[in-house]
Amino acid sequence: MKRIEDVKLHEAQDLYYPTMCQVTQARQLTEMEKWYELEMPDGQDLGHSPGQFVEVSAFGIGEAPISISSSPSGTGRFELCIRQIGTLTNVLKKYEAGDLIGIRGPFGKGYPIEKFLGKDILIIAGGIGLVPLRSLINYVLDHRRDFGRLIILYGAKTPAELLFKEEIADWTTRDDVEFYMTVDQGAENWTGNIGVITTLIPGLDLNLNATMAAITGPPVMYKFVIMSLKSKQLADDHIYVSLERRMKCGVGKCGHCQINGVYCCQDGPVFNYSAIKPLEEAL
Amino acid sequence: MECFSLLRKDIPALIDHLGVFGQVIAPHRKGDASYSFETVTDSSKVVLDYNRTLLPLKKNFFPPVEKLMDFSLKDLSYTTVEVPLEPKVFFAVHSYEMQSILRLDHSMLSGNVESNYLNRRQKSRFVGISFIPDEFHFSESVGITIEELEGFDLYLNEVEDDFQVYVITKKGRSLIQGFNKLRTTEPEIVAERKFKTKIRYHYNRLPRVFQYAYHADVWAEVASRCVGCGSCNLTCPTCFCFDVNDEVTVTAESGMRERTWDSCMLVTFAQVAGGENFREHTVNRTRHRLYRKFKYITDEEGLPWCVGCGRCTAFCPAGISLPEIVNDLIREDEKARHHQRVLV
Repeated sequence: MKRIEDVKLHEAQDLYYPTMCQVTQARQLTEMEKWYELEMPDGQDLGHSPGQFVEVSAFGIGEAPISISSSPSGTGRFELCIRQIGTLTNVLKKYEAGDLIGIRGPFGKGYPIEKFLGKDILIIAGGIGLVPLRSLINYVLDHRRDFGRLIILYGAKTPAELLFKEEIADWTTRDDVEFYMTVDQGAENWTGNIGVITTLIPGLDLNLNATMAAITGPPVMYKFVIMSLKSKQLADDHIYVSLERRMKCGVGKCGHCQINGVYCCQDGPVFNYSAIKPLEEAL
Repeated sequence: MECFSLLRKDIPALIDHLGVFGQVIAPHRKGDASYSFETVTDSSKVVLDYNRTLLPLKKNFFPPVEKLMDFSLKDLSYTTVEVPLEPKVFFAVHSYEMQSILRLDHSMLSGNVESNYLNRRQKSRFVGISFIPDEFHFSESVGITIEELEGFDLYLNEVEDDFQVYVITKKGRSLIQGFNKLRTTEPEIVAERKFKTKIRYHYNRLPRVFQYAYHADVWAEVASRCVGCGSCNLTCPTCFCFDVNDEVTVTAESGMRERTWDSCMLVTFAQVAGGENFREHTVNRTRHRLYRKFKYITDEEGLPWCVGCGRCTAFCPAGISLPEIVNDLIREDEKARHHQRVLV
């Protein structure tokens, strides 16, 4: 047990003050999602790793946890893509280049890149699950020679909800990316796959020992995707999930994000499946 | 350990003497049936014989509402809030309450060290006092005796209507420096003060019970009576969950960000934007509260995170009793084990 006698005054951290970051670019991607590029002040860098998140705030409205969507750039700039679904995010909808957004973080554990090096990376993204996974995808593309195959499965409800269409076009044409996409419901000009994301899994030819899977999507998706991967014989510890919870403080104090005894904001949001499999509240 | 005798009538003089070190905070009567830790302005008003305060002592280190910053909506800037280091003496504190502060220290200072909490905890001194357990206290069942001295600087043990003062730390010694109403004496064994409420098992057997209790029938039974008001969390001395909200002034030019105690028993606690609720049902939340006290942190730290103060039970509007839940879990566990044996 940590005792107060063991804590030095200089170890104290001001945990709740945001850094004000300027929006440098903003673009509405779909009816519900807007993309932002932000810049840290005074030449600072966010210093995040793929899969981490930040606490985003607007004064007078409040704070919410948002995934970082860009790979570490080292330039002081980073990207968020935010679904307008809650009190804060509906206010952020109005933010444009030049506006200031409060940022705390980066927080939590991202993908263990050291375990992914040299491996085939299988990305499985459902809906806005693509947003956090894009930080990993772009990291792999930034360091392409350090990884094996890059396989991306992406599912959306409708073609209108597809995010990052220009990047998708790039992934589709690149030789070093295997990209598969599906939508739950088609539309007039849609000629691609129709069906839930798990329909893309049986046809995959995976090198089981060399494949690391990273899954993010709506809560309902995980069980089914994991079942499909298990039927392909992929080992539990080769599967990583990123989980959504109400990570209010981001620093392991406020209690809202607990999954049984685990703080999602500290031990996650990226978890190895074998580590959370015994947790009843996880999936 | 140094030990002195002190007459009951000299207690106000002791409190006044402690006031030389800093602000003294002690139990006061609040209304007809309630007690509260308040700053002493008149030492004769301090209550020594109390069962429990409504709010735990933690409110002094982790306030129910706390301003984190002031902000301006005109230029989107903010000013920080400095928590001053103030010498304070907490007087007439029960052993379970002291133990709750030691647990809270762990919660707020392990991992990330929270500055606000640490600053408030600096320069705090604790003077304990013995008590007669009522029908709700059960701290002995979680390993905390009435005379548990850990954390205290001084301890007042009631002996035949007067007191013995134990000097536990050097800080405690300096608190009574120059106070001339103490007479050196030998510690006396006090006739046993018995707890009326007990958990049937020794607390070191509880982790095993909770290991198999996740799907126990007890949870649904308790949930069917729970009204989900969150009083148990708000009166719990080891609960530390909080929410953060922004308040804007009427001119809409400025405001403040503040944090407030939150409660894992409230239905919205684990709900995220879009409506997904990761602990939607009372049964999930009831279980979570108990697992927070007897399993999750306990597995790591080896101690129950319940200190047996009895507040959650005494103040529950639905009459739900925490030790009864634990005893029911024990009973269900024994029954399941009995059937297992029959099957073998």
